[in-house]
This record gives sequence, structure tokens and C-alpha cells, in this order.
Amino acid sequence: MEPALLEAQGLRKRFGALEAVRGVSLALRPGEVLAFLGKNGAGKTTTVKMLSGLLLPDAGEVRLLGQDPFRDPWALRHLGAVLEGNRNTYWRLTALENLVYFGVARGLRLAAARKRALALLEEYGLWDKAHTEVRHLSRGMQQKLALLQALVHDPEVLLLDEPTLGLDVDTSLQMQDKIRALAKGGKAILLTTHQLEVAEALAHQVAIIHRGEVVLEESKEALLARFAGEHYVLELEAPPPPGVLAQLRALGVEGEGPFLVRGDGEALWRVLEALKPLPLKKVAKAEADLLEVFLKVVGRA
Amino acid sequence: MLDLLLVEVWRSLLALRRYPLELLGAVVTLSLIFYLLFLGARFLAGPGVEFGGRLEAVLVGYLLWTFTLSAYNGLSFGLMEETQTGTLEQVFLTPYGPVRLYLVRDLAGLFTQGLLVFLIALVLMALTGARLAFTPQVLLPFLAVLLGGYGLGFAVGSLALLYKRIGQLLGLSQFLLLFLLQAPGEGLFRLLPLAPGAALARRMLAEGAPLDPAPLFLSFLNGLVYLGAGLFLFRRAVRLAKGRGLLHGY
Repeated sequence: MEPALLEAQGLRKRFGALEAVRGVSLALRPGEVLAFLGKNGAGKTTTVKMLSGLLLPDAGEVRLLGQDPFRDPWALRHLGAVLEGNRNTYWRLTALENLVYFGVARGLRLAAARKRALALLEEYGLWDKAHTEVRHLSRGMQQKLALLQALVHDPEVLLLDEPTLGLDVDTSLQMQDKIRALAKGGKAILLTTHQLEVAEALAHQVAIIHRGEVVLEESKEALLARFAGEHYVLELEAPPPPGVLAQLRALGVEGEGPFLVRGDGEALWRVLEALKPLPLKKVAKAEADLLEVFLKVVGRA
Repeated sequence: MLDLLLVEVWRSLLALRRYPLELLGAVVTLSLIFYLLFLGARFLAGPGVEFGGRLEAVLVGYLLWTFTLSAYNGLSFGLMEETQTGTLEQVFLTPYGPVRLYLVRDLAGLFTQGLLVFLIALVLMALTGARLAFTPQVLLPFLAVLLGGYGLGFAVGSLALLYKRIGQLLGLSQFLLLFLLQAPGEGLFRLLPLAPGAALARRMLAEGAPLDPAPLFLSFLNGLVYLGAGLFLFRRAVRLAKGRGLLHGY
């Protein structure tokens, strides 16, 4: 396993009587998207702000490529962020001017920032809007530009807080493609979102925070498999006769078609015996989705 | 750092080019204030009274006040605006750190503030008939005053960072600046911010006194001490704001 580019250990933050974050530890590795999920007020944004050096933790530490961003601000050279609830860019500057400005403000030389800005605008399909003031861009373009602003200095770590919020389906899918490509290119990405289908489409790792604590962290595949359990979905070409249906019920089969067979492979074979020789349409292992997992975990926690 | 300075100058020039009415509004307002004060003073003094050479000194004093004022409140207005529009956190993500970034912004702002003061000077010379002809050496005490002005700007910027809405305080403290710029540059007054540099400039303009190195040294020392104090307070405020989560808005 590659070493983490961003690492947080035991982060704690209290605002008055509210303990917003309680001992959160996270690790972001290159090429990996970590979906950081939680309900409103669970502590997601507070954690993201601590990871980006904008909020001092009461306890715990953040290491960005081994450096502490609170002691050594130059560590922030390795981080780009799209922050939710922020404009992220200057609305009175054009798309190109914003990227050049933020490129230099993030440590690039002026000429390098301009070159990189032009390349990004072309790559992300904003070339024809390069000289348009941000306030005149559509919401989707503004959001895309916010991502480019985070990318302009080519950081290794990206913190994306609701990057697809409020976007139409097309633009959201485009953004998802770009985020996937960035991860493939080796960036370590923390994705915070309430859109669980987006998280499911992009994440390699999933962490769920609830009342300030990470209550689950695991790879997406393992998590979904675990929550799907040893269940099977079964469909027939035609509804079964009442006698067969009674047998299915006796074997614990649920549903009216498709049917759900709870249990391991042996239970499935017993059901298939009972169905013989009715024509089958589909037999598949049941799958859980992230929404189901999230609701179960948060409901249980 | 040079690239950061260049890009900040470029950003302020873009704002000037794109929104010239904002500069024009400032020139008209600040010129009008002086002109009305000038007319009022003439009215009170009676028709026979002439300002003579003192008019130039008063005018230069006013221009210095304008320059110091923008050095003083530029940072706070910038912070308040960025908090409101939601770009402050992105600015704070700079690896240069906020203190260095805002110092560079202040330096970059000198140019646009200089342009503002130059335009006001032109308008007022046309309106009042005054002719500004002063030795370039007077720019040195001006610079010392500006250093102190930026120092006070960082101090009040700390409040802007922590409490956000400090427009009223900024409005009121303009009069404090006026007092500091008019205070005598002697005795304990020399310890006040801006006062020694402003007094030296006033003596040079009104009495035609030559540039005296000792008071100039004191003026710079005063300016640097207040700049250092302002930066110290701002650094503390940044840490406090990061500790309390105050960077994200109102």
C-alpha cells in the first residue's frame, strides 16, 4: 500500500458546548477517492477545514506530505480545495484571470501560472469563456472553474466539498468523469457529498462520520459486499403456481417477484430445487447501494 | 514573492480598468469634502482673508490624510468584502500565509492609492487655485507616515477578521487619524503613531524647513514600530480566527 499523502490523527474540535469532531483519523492515498459521508452537522465540513489548515484542531494533527500545514504554510502548496458555501473565485475577474491569480497565490511563477491556466481552460472546455467574468458564467461553469482553481498549481491532494451540488445531470456527469480521471492520474481526493450516487460512482474508500466520530471506514467494494450479505435475487419468466409459491414461502423466500433469497448458496439450491422445472429469468447475488449502507450505519450509530 | 506582487498589482489594475466609476466616485467624494471645507473656512473667515501659502500646506495635509486613510482601512474593507463574497478561505489557502499575502497586497495597493491621491490633487488644484510645488524630500516623512498607517491598518484588520462588521469603527477612526496627523511632533506626542512623520512633513511644507535627519529617523522608527505591532496583532488574530472557525463568513 502506498504511503498516505494526507494524514489526520485524532482530530478534535469543540465550539462552545458542542464537540463537533471527536477523534477523527483519516488517510488519503494517491490515486484514491475517499468519500467522506455524513448527515448535516455530523462534522464533515469542520474536518475538511482542519485538513486544509483553515481551522485549528483542539487536538490531533494533520500531515500533508509529511508536513504540518499549521506550522509550515508552504505545505499548502500540495493541496487544492473546492469549499462548499464559498464562491471559491473572484466574480469580478474573468476565468483566465482567476486561474492566473490563484496559480501565483499558490506558489507558481507568473508565466507558469498563465500557461497552466490556458491548458486547464482548454482541457475542461472553458476555453471560449476564458475572458468572461465569473459572475456571467453559468452555475455549472462556475463550479468547474472552482475545480480548476483548486487544480491550477497541480497539487497532489484535493479536498472537494460538494463539487457537484446544484449541477444539472450532464455537467455533474462531466465533473464526475474529471474527478475519476484526476484520481487515475494519481491525485489523492477527499470527496464530501450528500449525493450518495456520486459518492458510489467515484469512491474507492468510504468513511462515514456521525456526531463527530468516524463510525465506519472501509473500501467501497468490501463495504457493499458486506452489507449485501449472502443474499440472492431471483426472477422467473412467469409467476409461480400457488403450490410452488407456498413452498418458497416455507423456505423463507421474500417478495412477489423478483424474489429475495436470504442465506448462503445452499439455501439458494434448495429454492432452485423447489422451482424446478419453472423457467428462470435471472439469478443474481443481491447488491447493496451506498444509500442503503449509509442509512443503516447512521441509523444504527 | 515578486510574482505575487506583480499579480496583485495586475489584479488592482484590472479592477481599476473594469470598474473606473469606483475610482471616479472616490475622487469626486474626497475632492468635494475638501472643497466644501475650504469654502466653509473662507466663509467663516470673511471675504478679505486669503489662505496664501498655507492653502498648499492644508491641501498637502489633506492629501496625506487621504493616502493614510486608504492605507489604514484598505485591509479591513478587503477582509470584510472577501468574507461576504466568500473568497477569504481560498485566499487563506495560500502557501505564502495570510500575513505575507496581505503585506504584498498593501504594497500593491500603493500604486492605486497613489493614483487616487494624484487625481484628487489635480481636481483640488483646479478648484482652489493652489499650486503644489514641494521638495521631493517631503516624500520621505510621507513614507514613514504610511508605514504607521499600514501598521494601524493591520491592527484594525485584526478586528475585521474577528468581528467582521466594523464599518462604524472605521468611519469613526478617520477622525482619530486626522488628530494623529495634526498632533505636534514633540514630547510624548512623538510616541503616537503617524504624528512625528506628519509633523516633520508639515514643518517642511508650511515653514519651508529643510529635511532634518534626526526627526526623519524617529519618524521611520515610529512607523516601523507601529507596522511591527500591527503585524503582530494581525498574526495573533489569524491564529484566533483559525482557532474559533471565523474565516468562513458572518
